[in-house]
Amino acid sequence: MNCLDYRRFLLSGAAETEAMRDHRTACGPCSDLLKEHAAFEGELRCALEVPVPAELADRLVKTLPAFGPAEAPRQDRRRFLAAAAVVAGAFGVGLYAWRGRDDPMALACIQFVMKDEAKSIMMGAMPRADAARVLADTLPIERLERIGQIRHIAPCPFGEGTAYHVILMVPQDKVTLLIMPDRSMPSRVRAAHDGMYASVMPLRKGSVGIVGTNAAVVDSVAGALKA
Amino acid sequence: MDNAVSTGATDEFFEQAVRTHAGDLYRFAYWLARNRQQAEDIVQNALLRGWRASPRVRDRAAVKAWLFSIVRNEYHRATAQDARHAGGVDADGIDIIDERASPFGMEMRDALMALPSSFAEPLALQVLGGFSCAEIAAMLETTEGAVMTRLTRARQALKRLILPIEAKERKGERS
Repeated sequence: MNCLDYRRFLLSGAAETEAMRDHRTACGPCSDLLKEHAAFEGELRCALEVPVPAELADRLVKTLPAFGPAEAPRQDRRRFLAAAAVVAGAFGVGLYAWRGRDDPMALACIQFVMKDEAKSIMMGAMPRADAARVLADTLPIERLERIGQIRHIAPCPFGEGTAYHVILMVPQDKVTLLIMPDRSMPSRVRAAHDGMYASVMPLRKGSVGIVGTNAAVVDSVAGALKA
Repeated sequence: MDNAVSTGATDEFFEQAVRTHAGDLYRFAYWLARNRQQAEDIVQNALLRGWRASPRVRDRAAVKAWLFSIVRNEYHRATAQDARHAGGVDADGIDIIDERASPFGMEMRDALMALPSSFAEPLALQVLGGFSCAEIAAMLETTEGAVMTRLTRARQALKRLILPIEAKERKGERS
C-alpha cells in the first residue's frame, strides 16, 4: 500500500485494515494524517448527531397499535384528509371497483410489499442487462422505463416460484411490481388491504402484480402496461 | 424473529428495537429530509410499517439494518407523494442548537447541510448506523466500490468546505 491508497481508504471511513496499519506505522506523514483525520471524524460524528426530541422513543412506541390507543400518525391523518377529498370527488367511482374483490394473489402481492420488500432490496439488485434478457418475453424492460424510473430490480422468491421485484418511480408515486413469468392469470384481479392496493394482470407470458398506496396510480400503471 | 415467537414476545422485541435505535433512526431521517418535523413523521410512519411487518422478520440480528432501510424507504415514499419534502431544508432544520458544538462543529453541520443527499445518505449510514460499505451498498442498491467513492468524495467535500475555517481558527489561536 502506498500513501495515495492509504489516504483514499482513510477518507472512505472504512475500518483500518492490516495493510493500512502496516503502512501507517512505517510512514510518518500518514501517521500524522491519521491524527488529523481522527479529529475530523469526531467533529463529523458530533455534527451528524443532531439533538433528538425529548421522549421521542416513548412517543414512537405509543403510536404503535400494540402499545397505545389506535392513533393514525399525523402525516397519515393529513394525507388521509387530503386524499379523502380528492377521492370523493374524482375517484369515487374508480374506488368502487376495488370493493369486495380481494383476490388471494393480489393480497399476496400486498403482503410481499409490507413484509418482504425491504429484505428483498437489501439482497441487492441485478444488472440491467440481465433483467432485460430474462424479462424480454414477459415484460420488456424498455416498456417499464417508458412509464417510470426503475429504482430496483431483482429476482425474489414469491409464492411457490420466482418473481422479479421491481420498484418503479412514476410521476405520481412509487409502485412495486412483481413480474411472474411462470404464473399466468386468466383476467385482471384486485385487492385492497391496510391502505395498499394491488392489481394482478395477465401478460403475454405470465403475469404482473402492481402494488401501491394509491388506487388510481395502480390503475394508471396497469393501464399503461396493458397499452 | 421467528414465526413461532408469540405476538407478545414479538411486540416486546420490536419495542426494545425502537427504544434502542429511535435516536439514530431520527438522526438518519433528519439528514435525509433536513427537517426535524419531517424526520419525526418519517420515523413514525416507518416504524408503523415495520411493526406491521415485524412478525415475519426472521433475522433478529439484522433488525437495525432493517429499520434503517424502512426509514429510507419511507423517506422516498414521502418525497414521491409530497413535493414539499423534495425542497428539503427549512429554517427550523438549520437552526438546531447543540451545546456540544464548537464553532468548528457548527461549520461542519452547515457543510453537511450543503452536502448533496447522495453523499450525505451513505455518510449518515456509516457514521450514525455503523454500517460497513458492503451493508450500505445493499441498502442503497449499488456496489461497494460506488459507496466507497461516495464516502470519499463526501469527506473531501466537507474538508474543502470547513478546512479554510479551521485554518482561520488555528491562525487566530496563534496570534
